[in-house]
Amino acid sequence: MPMERLKEPMGSRIDRTERVSFRFEGQQYSGYRGDTIASALYANGVTTLSRSFKYHRPRGVLSMCGQDSNAMVQIGAKPNRLADRILIEADLDVMGQNYWGSLEKDRLAMLRHLGRFMPVGFYYKAFYKPRWMWPLWAKLIRRVAGLGVVSLDTPHGYYDKEYLFTDVTVIGAGPAGLAAALEAADAGAEVLLVDENAELGGALAYARFDGAGEAAEKTRADLIAKVEAHARIRVMTDATCTGWYADNWLPLIKDNRLYKLRAGALVVASGCYEQPLIFHNNDLPGIMLGSAAQRLIKLYGIKPGNRAVVAAANQDGYGVALDLLDAGVEVACVVDVRADPPEEDMSAALMRRHVPILAGATLREAVPSAGGRGVRAIKIARLESETKSAARYDSFACDLIAMSGSYVPAAALLHQAGGRVSFAADNGSFSVHDLPEQLSAAGSVAGTNTLENVLSEGAAAGRRAAGEAGFTVSGDSAASAAPEEAPGAWPIIAHAKGKDFVDFDEDLQIHDIENALSEGYQHIQLLKRFTTNGMGPSQGRHATLPAIRLAARRTGAGLDETGSTTSRPPIGPLTMAHLAGRSFEPVRYTAMHYRHVELCAKMMPAGAWMRPEYYGDARSRADNITAEAKNVRENVGMIDVSTLGGLEVRGPDAAEFLNRMYTFAYLKQPVGRARYVLMTDDAGVIVDDGVACRLADDHFYVTATTSGVDGVYRTMLWYNVQWRLKVDITHVSASYAGVNIAGPNSREVVEKLCDDVDLSPEAFPYMGARRGHVAGIPALFLRVGFVGELGYELHVPASQGEALWDALMEAGKDADIRPFGVEAQRLLRLEKGHIIISQDTDGLSTPHEADMAWAISRKKPYYVGMRSVAIQEAGGLKRKMVGFELANDAASTPKECHLVIRGSTITGRVTSIVRSPTLGKVIGLAYVAPDQAELGTVIEIKTDSGQMVRAEVVKLPFYDPDGARQEM
Amino acid sequence: MTILPQDHSRRSFLYRELESAGAEFEEINGAAVAMRLGGDAAAEAAQARSLGLCDLSGLPRTGFKGWNMATWLTGQGAEMVTESNIVTPQSDGTRIARLAPGEALLLGDDHGASALIENTDAAWSMETSDGCFQVPRAETNFWLTLSGTHTPALFAKICAVDLRPEAAPPHRVVQTNVARLNAIIIRRYIAEVPVFDLLSDVASAVYLWRALLDAMEEFDGKPIGLTALRTLR
Repeated sequence: MPMERLKEPMGSRIDRTERVSFRFEGQQYSGYRGDTIASALYANGVTTLSRSFKYHRPRGVLSMCGQDSNAMVQIGAKPNRLADRILIEADLDVMGQNYWGSLEKDRLAMLRHLGRFMPVGFYYKAFYKPRWMWPLWAKLIRRVAGLGVVSLDTPHGYYDKEYLFTDVTVIGAGPAGLAAALEAADAGAEVLLVDENAELGGALAYARFDGAGEAAEKTRADLIAKVEAHARIRVMTDATCTGWYADNWLPLIKDNRLYKLRAGALVVASGCYEQPLIFHNNDLPGIMLGSAAQRLIKLYGIKPGNRAVVAAANQDGYGVALDLLDAGVEVACVVDVRADPPEEDMSAALMRRHVPILAGATLREAVPSAGGRGVRAIKIARLESETKSAARYDSFACDLIAMSGSYVPAAALLHQAGGRVSFAADNGSFSVHDLPEQLSAAGSVAGTNTLENVLSEGAAAGRRAAGEAGFTVSGDSAASAAPEEAPGAWPIIAHAKGKDFVDFDEDLQIHDIENALSEGYQHIQLLKRFTTNGMGPSQGRHATLPAIRLAARRTGAGLDETGSTTSRPPIGPLTMAHLAGRSFEPVRYTAMHYRHVELCAKMMPAGAWMRPEYYGDARSRADNITAEAKNVRENVGMIDVSTLGGLEVRGPDAAEFLNRMYTFAYLKQPVGRARYVLMTDDAGVIVDDGVACRLADDHFYVTATTSGVDGVYRTMLWYNVQWRLKVDITHVSASYAGVNIAGPNSREVVEKLCDDVDLSPEAFPYMGARRGHVAGIPALFLRVGFVGELGYELHVPASQGEALWDALMEAGKDADIRPFGVEAQRLLRLEKGHIIISQDTDGLSTPHEADMAWAISRKKPYYVGMRSVAIQEAGGLKRKMVGFELANDAASTPKECHLVIRGSTITGRVTSIVRSPTLGKVIGLAYVAPDQAELGTVIEIKTDSGQMVRAEVVKLPFYDPDGARQEM
Repeated sequence: MTILPQDHSRRSFLYRELESAGAEFEEINGAAVAMRLGGDAAAEAAQARSLGLCDLSGLPRTGFKGWNMATWLTGQGAEMVTESNIVTPQSDGTRIARLAPGEALLLGDDHGASALIENTDAAWSMETSDGCFQVPRAETNFWLTLSGTHTPALFAKICAVDLRPEAAPPHRVVQTNVARLNAIIIRRYIAEVPVFDLLSDVASAVYLWRALLDAMEEFDGKPIGLTALRTLR
């Protein structure tokens, strides 16, 4: 039965008019709209949320604000969700974590009896030999350990990102943050106020600052009213800042969005983490931080127990006791670790309500209730020192223990920005140093706790931030400071029976830390790594400082000297989905893209472009490709070549520029002619090829490979800056659509649509370039022949590409024109012996290796890579590209990248291979050892089935060696 | 008069997207331009003030670059500031965006008229324009406008540059990256309604159109026709 909630104003987060049902461990529960999973379960009497990592101990609410691993649960396919932050929703399906069986009856709970056999680092020492056992141990350990279950069927969600810019950003909307935001906005700054909670106010929303319990709400209401009325303050609640990066670049997570925020100035008012006390069984459900009990009361209207003991190391514990009393909880006593706590109005109020205050005492041992799923009593002993308590103890019956230990600053952002936190050796006080410019800290993160001081410090930080963001500020940017209460003692006393947990995430006890220190792991970084203290999901929020204190105690060094561990982003849990965000994957379509789709093309990516691989049914892929190739050889086909790179090189030095960029010679290239271009880099490695068409003395149109053109363009610009030639380079790849219409009947088709270019072989020979019109569309005509047939490459303005395609398809209808795709083109060019850069070449291929020496001019003084090519030539070849063909009775057909092997030596690899329908045999290109390049040499290629296939080196090209067909 | 995009050889790369959104086209500058998106005209005009996406790819634009660009272009009657990334409005409604000391982009008005573009394109030749080279901007780039009060918030989702009014004043040119595409963004106002011109790789037009619509959904943004954009005046 759900418990009755406390009357309003308790329960500020819940809407009592709407009940919400959800499931936990298969059972149906209900809560109010605004409840978290943890608060709704607590209100239903369910106090165990999960099991601990190592000993599988029942764990319940600790912080009630998402700062500990006790509250991690599995929600559907999402593991490690924080039950004390996630709101209940209808049909939410929640399960506990870390058990084998059920949360109630965990078979692995017996591990708690084996603790002494599993000291820190036992797996380093136990499982490394014999080596063959490791896979078995790994399997078992993985079964036992782990945090939740990852589902490979996790559905996709919609996540995205947004950029934000502000003059001043304030992280934390507690009293310091609110005051800072108001002050900065008053100075004229645009302010973004960020808080991870649902409401503004920070500790003002749940903590107690005076005996009457009025100061917090009055201050909160006043500040919030001003903030909400301020036009220059934007509030972002339920948002987490997960890190600090250079120049105040801050990632914020809110819902399914990652905000990338650039803040002119930053105020960090992120508060602090209340610390638990360390005693035997300090992890039982029912033992929680004082602030957690206050959150249950104030935010959710939940009475956290019936009879409580409050442990205090400061006055805040007295506030907790008063709040418990107001909520109807009997407070058995307040245990104050301070020997002589100061008298002030909250302690006076407690005494008026007859609550015993036991000063100079500490908690020694919690007595579990049946099954260890709660607490029924606490043993309290007098403190003799910070390391020892008296042997005598008193026992108090209770079902709730609220711990208000000392505080640790939530300083991760400050650490990441280069700041440093120093702890005083004699007590728990701390201070912040070395913050960079445009970054201030205010409030309890800076060690300031008195409300009056917090407000003053926040306002000062806001003024400073506005000034740093370029606004004129008046008044002092230094805070006025009243005396702060000195923190109390911090006893850490080992219990003979252990289970005095320092780190709840990893089930680390005092003796675990001490044993590691004894073994020599005394440096704080080594201690962390060996023990895994602070490496769990809560990242040491409650465990780091106790470990530092234990280390300092052992070594005799001061806290500052002992140092602290680093704090890297992300500060809190961050999903991969948030990092990935919305997927932006640009894809480029040619002007004719939809015509290909309409013709049932199988589209394939070529860099960012989509190209037709072939047309027709995928089940007849090979037949389709063969038919497309055959139609080019015997009739006329058309391929979309719009993806080819295009560069305009213009200016008086255009020819000189190309002469330096490419291996061939271009100074005397006639206007109206195209010439092959081959580009090498400084190392003499082939990087690209294409053709250069001379359209005027000072104007070349240069093509480049689809995926290489961007690199070629960048390289050209880079050299042009150095050479300072009178030349301009313009990247026009997307400006022109292009088709290659090829085959013995191609002239007949083009002639139907063109009346201003003489297409006869005499007037327009092979490798000619002309300007004219096709179907009324201005076009550049190139007579090039990658596929080895009579053909025309037509380049037209991109906006008219589709119209060009339509016109040619219509004009070729009588001739039975059909489009061909990339695969047919690859086949046809291989028959012709043409290489494809980056398929037949790699990152080391040189012109001589690739049999491209014919494309090198030896009469010019320079081209990029010339000296390297000369050195390669002088040094002799290490491999050589050859054409080969298989005997028709070959047992199997090799594939690209299959190795050429001689004896036990790899001498090369296949780069291209295909069964040629024209030649009726398998042909290919391969790198082989230089002495294997002789015509007639038999090479052996190892296929993926392990067979050795014999092939004969033959002369290139395989098809039409005289070039008669392309020069028709 | 309503026409079909396929009636003209010049076609926007986005005409199918517009057709599927119910667009009605009219001829401007020899191309079919989406004038209306088929719905209620008043609602479409309101959309332009809230968040509208309009394809202007059919409207005139051109570009020039080279070491002698500024001299040649001013010789044709153009006016330009020397500072890069600033737009200079011309008397005939043309806008000249100076992209670099040696590069300019010329955009016609939203009626498809620009005497300056017509004249410069006609006057330019390799022989007479020493050191100034024409750039086929009408072919290289598609041209969109995003209009309405939600535009800065929309850009915050797809572009890392701060395009809030205080950071990007009118006539500011931003050459940056939008949804992983190189893009030119030009900020302007039409009767106090914020409008951004967006020009990018024409081959990626469909990709960016869809990415923009997806990002706009949060603000109930929709495609609009040129008529709705004109109502902002």
